[in-house]
Amino acid sequence: MTCTLGEVKNRADFMIYWGGNPAECHPRHFTKYSLTQKGKFTPNGRKDRTMVLVDIRETPSAKAADVFLQIRPGKDFELIGILRALIKNQRVNEAMVAETGLPLSKLEELVAMMKAARFGVIFFGMGLSMTRGKHMNSAGVLMLAAEMNAFTKFVAMPMRGHGNVTGADVVMRYTTGYPFGVNLCRGYPRFNPGEFSTVDLLVRGDNDACLVLGADPGATMPQPAIDHLARIPTITLDPKVTHTSRLSRVHITTAATGISAPGTAYRMDEIPLPLRPALKSPYPTDEEVVRRIREAVARRPAWLPERNGEMVV
Amino acid sequence: MTLTIVKNATCTFCGCVCDDIELHADEIRIVETKRACSLGESWFKNHTAEHLYPDALIDGHPATVDDAVEAAADYLLNANMPLVYGMSNITCEAQREAVALAELIGGVVDSHTSL
Repeated sequence: MTCTLGEVKNRADFMIYWGGNPAECHPRHFTKYSLTQKGKFTPNGRKDRTMVLVDIRETPSAKAADVFLQIRPGKDFELIGILRALIKNQRVNEAMVAETGLPLSKLEELVAMMKAARFGVIFFGMGLSMTRGKHMNSAGVLMLAAEMNAFTKFVAMPMRGHGNVTGADVVMRYTTGYPFGVNLCRGYPRFNPGEFSTVDLLVRGDNDACLVLGADPGATMPQPAIDHLARIPTITLDPKVTHTSRLSRVHITTAATGISAPGTAYRMDEIPLPLRPALKSPYPTDEEVVRRIREAVARRPAWLPERNGEMVV
Repeated sequence: MTLTIVKNATCTFCGCVCDDIELHADEIRIVETKRACSLGESWFKNHTAEHLYPDALIDGHPATVDDAVEAAADYLLNANMPLVYGMSNITCEAQREAVALAELIGGVVDSHTSL
């Protein structure tokens, strides 16, 4: 269960940032949406809110927190499990509590604060969702937030990184029915993370061509995946010549999203916002180039025989 | 020189997508980014309207967009399992086109979410 950042601003009197460093990665999150804004039910802004930061090291975000809980790396899932037990007054194994690097008394204090809140929110970042446990950690946090609703209103929201990555989820959801990693090879969508997710596909060497747009995997992905991108025909669309462009057979320069390309982008709480470009680019937009590639493909004989009027035997 | 002022511009650098930025721009570059954070400011100021890069590259050599589009279409259609990846820093309109293209070429479409 989640909510919009407007609800957070107006209602949230308790927030946990888990595995994220908004002070450096989302600099205006505190001041524009969550911590210091004055809202309808939080008229005194920061004074009406309590903030807890859970992370493996003391980042600059810790300065903004009322409570900082330094957890041992890779113990997020264990801590989520312990918290889920504690809110239901179940007994917990002390050896397992010790493994998280936090004393039981601190966790009991945290649970008391969570239950005392009128509206609690857990913002979870890549430190939670991309480390040991991965999507199970995200699932755990969502369960924790759901179960907290037996006591008070509680929600969870992922801290999305790149500009319109939320939009990619939304668009793929309403076009294919799935949010990411969608395989259309059979002519209908199939979804299976781990099988059809990019890193797994590339590391296994499953793809024999790749179109990269609005990303630079050549700078961020594991080396075996990058090696495979260099082996196969890769096509890159980007406002700059990137690491990926250098290993691509084809690069097309495009206008920068929101700066010289108009359109829509989704905020991390799935609110669509219009872009207002300030410059006129000498390059075409991504939208235009992808449409032209699609039209060029459509002019050629289709890969599925049935679409050319032939029977599939 | 007169500056164009764009009020309530939207920053797409991070997931916050702040839509209250005031941009002051001349023909070539953005010179002022009111209310933007340090990340947003460098995002806006690092992209100009200059023609700094070739329109397109094929095998590392400058080419026209038309040729590059045709080459891209050939590679994608001839592949058995093409992948359309990324989509984090493009508009929703471009993302829709990308999904339509992925369907046409019978490929996989994926975003940063799967990382």
